[in-house]
Amino acid sequence: MSKGRKTAAALLALVTIMALLAGCGSSENNIGSGAKDQIASGSQSGSGNQGSSGTENQGGQNGTQKGYVFTYKDVTISMDAEAAPLVAALGEPNSYFEAASCAFEGLDKMYTYSGFELDTYPTGDKDFVSAVVLKDDSVATPEGVVIGDSKSKLESVYGTASSTTDTLAVYEKDGMELRFILSGDSIVSIEYMSGAALQ
Amino acid sequence: MKSKKTLKVIVSAIIVFVCLFLLQRLLMPKYVSDIVEGSMIAEYYREEMDHDVVFIGDCEVYENFSPKVLWEEYGINSYIRGSAQQLIWQSYYLLEDTLRYEKPQVVIFNVLSMQYNEPQREAYNRMTLEGMKWSGAKVKAILASMTEEENFLDYVFPILRYHSRWSELKGEDLEYLFKPHQVSHNGYYMRVDVKPAENVPEGKVLADYSFGENAYDYLDRFTKLCKENDIQLILIKAPSLYPYWYDEWEAQMEEYAAGNNLLYINFLELVEETGLDFSTDTYDGGLHLNLSGAEKVSRYLGKVLQEEGVPDRRGEEALEKIWQEKAALYEQEKEEQYLALEAER
Repeated sequence: MSKGRKTAAALLALVTIMALLAGCGSSENNIGSGAKDQIASGSQSGSGNQGSSGTENQGGQNGTQKGYVFTYKDVTISMDAEAAPLVAALGEPNSYFEAASCAFEGLDKMYTYSGFELDTYPTGDKDFVSAVVLKDDSVATPEGVVIGDSKSKLESVYGTASSTTDTLAVYEKDGMELRFILSGDSIVSIEYMSGAALQ
Repeated sequence: MKSKKTLKVIVSAIIVFVCLFLLQRLLMPKYVSDIVEGSMIAEYYREEMDHDVVFIGDCEVYENFSPKVLWEEYGINSYIRGSAQQLIWQSYYLLEDTLRYEKPQVVIFNVLSMQYNEPQREAYNRMTLEGMKWSGAKVKAILASMTEEENFLDYVFPILRYHSRWSELKGEDLEYLFKPHQVSHNGYYMRVDVKPAENVPEGKVLADYSFGENAYDYLDRFTKLCKENDIQLILIKAPSLYPYWYDEWEAQMEEYAAGNNLLYINFLELVEETGLDFSTDTYDGGLHLNLSGAEKVSRYLGKVLQEEGVPDRRGEEALEKIWQEKAALYEQEKEEQYLALEAER
């Protein structure tokens, strides 16, 4: 092998290794690092209700609300919004529970207020809203649907669901879901779920 | 002349292969200083494969039962093949994998994972699958576990997945390049700290409480494999208060156990009998037990296993010696954790 060929072969090997190292790195989750790269598993978020949800956009992680939102005492909660300002505005919860995920760092947090529950997931050193679950008919969606309402009222207010089964009607919007759980003809639970929580 | 050239090519190929292998080893997570749970599956292969009882399941087995107590108080030689969010198909293939090495008298499976019917998250997949030695069971486990975004080749050549870790390499990546790191005690992950269970939420309403077809299929396979190998399968629900264990789920497991003539123990219903106190026996508010809780539950389970005919092997010289060393490490870590807690106060 000539000197030139050897140099070329060495360069080729180097380029291959550099390509492997560089690759698609920045967009990947860093598995194995201390950073939590996902919402913890096993979390079962809460519920909530005395408010309402709107469909306008205001309030995600970047300050813009997306999808269906829930409003309680003038505090508008959208999925994936930063939790700290919302929790501060909502005041003292009736109860608070936090759950560490198996293995990963960070805590999923559940704040229970009168009629609804606000759940969060951690990303970096901040928490974001993963779900709002309405618990009873003391709270309503901004469109006026409450637990106990009929399926026909649900459809008259929200229209045709994105997907449906005998016990579930799901309305998707901007990557989040507004889910109505049904028993017979009645709504028994209302959940706002972030796309991240659904992954 | 030609043979010299061929030799050169072969040597060059070997050098490239070795370099890539070393690079891959370096870049793969070592699970030493954080997310230590990622080390657990691989630890099993360094064991003497002579266990009478093998636990298989998620964090509810590796954090809630102490094989050391089972040995010291009942002479039961056991091991926990647990990993974080271990899905039921992974448990099944871990059972297949275990049977390549040993045939325990009893296998204990924790049923919480019945709630999952499809692949969940890559990070958890990798913590279970990467530690498995290559075999047909591992291949099938990977194929059953992959999410849509994952590739089988990334498991065969992890460097394809971890190439971007080069910028976050730490000293431990070099230190543990080949040296194994022990994080568990026969699969048990020890924690001595206390965080009482308070305000544990009720489960939210579900649209469907039925466990999925895929989950049942693997439970059936699990049961069948145990029967074929003359292994007694015991189903358990560990005494973790959260995630919530629904009555509807309990009814399904009771029915399954009865239909398949299996012993099923729900430790959530045995709080009084085990003596668990959730104000002192959990380190994370009721999700997992701490050392005190795990030892209480293990004492109860030991009695059950004894009644089921698992032998007391105290007195076997070789095994006694192994457990003497294990017990010393267990006590050492216990002391270190208590000292660290004291220092924090």
